[in-house]
Amino acid sequence: MVQYSTRLDSSFAALSDATRRGILERLGRGSASISDLAESFEMTLTGIKKHVRVLEDSRLVTTEKVGRVRTCSLGPRRLEDEQAWIAKYQRMLEERYDHLERFLRRTQRQERTDP
Amino acid sequence: MSASLKDATRKATVTTHGDREIRIERVFDAPRALVWQAFTDPKLVAQWWGRGNKLVVERLELERGGHWRFVEHSPDGVHGFEGRFREITPPERLVMTFEWDGMPGYVIIENVVFEEVGKDRTRIVNLSQFYSTDERDGMLASGMEEGLNQSYAALDRLLATLP
Repeated sequence: MVQYSTRLDSSFAALSDATRRGILERLGRGSASISDLAESFEMTLTGIKKHVRVLEDSRLVTTEKVGRVRTCSLGPRRLEDEQAWIAKYQRMLEERYDHLERFLRRTQRQERTDP
Repeated sequence: MSASLKDATRKATVTTHGDREIRIERVFDAPRALVWQAFTDPKLVAQWWGRGNKLVVERLELERGGHWRFVEHSPDGVHGFEGRFREITPPERLVMTFEWDGMPGYVIIENVVFEEVGKDRTRIVNLSQFYSTDERDGMLASGMEEGLNQSYAALDRLLATLP
């Protein structure tokens, strides 16, 4: 639980910015160069580079420079978070149904004892 | 009620249904009208949905396209969950989207079916469908397996403690 929270928290900080979320969405559809991204988001190269660096630091994005072009793709972190989220969701769902069961038992008992 | 029937009531069935679906099936010792109410009456929802934590039902607009939003106050913080209703067919079926504030954009579709089992019992079949990154499906599935096995083990332990 704590492990998930720490991992998720640091990546949420990177995700707190609308442009960075947009970059992830864009890269979800396929890799793109820094200048592609600058054009899509109507930002300067320097501005986009800053955002990409934050995403790269939290392993949400990886970049590779070939010649003069730096290409950005989704990093491994995003997948880890997806996996963590799915496992967490399933646990929550199971716990929720456990509590529903207890609630129904309680309610039924009350109904039986009420006049 | 015979012992074996009683056991069957408590048994939870959890199966993965393809790579991106989680299916949970449970039978409750309560009539369907009451189970339906537990899902749709804000006062009743607040008593179980938060898993023992305080739950604030901010919105529960029970209509197609209606917005629901619950906020759970758990020991590790305050967590908001919300979505929209896609289908409401009392007392048989609820379909809604599910999102956690902590994973914005990761929408899950929850499909909950309420079936009568005799007069006094109700089976819930909950199917949750995830959208996940297409080209990485293979990797995601292999990572999920471990997480799911851990969850199964936890569930087994929980079931063993029930009377």
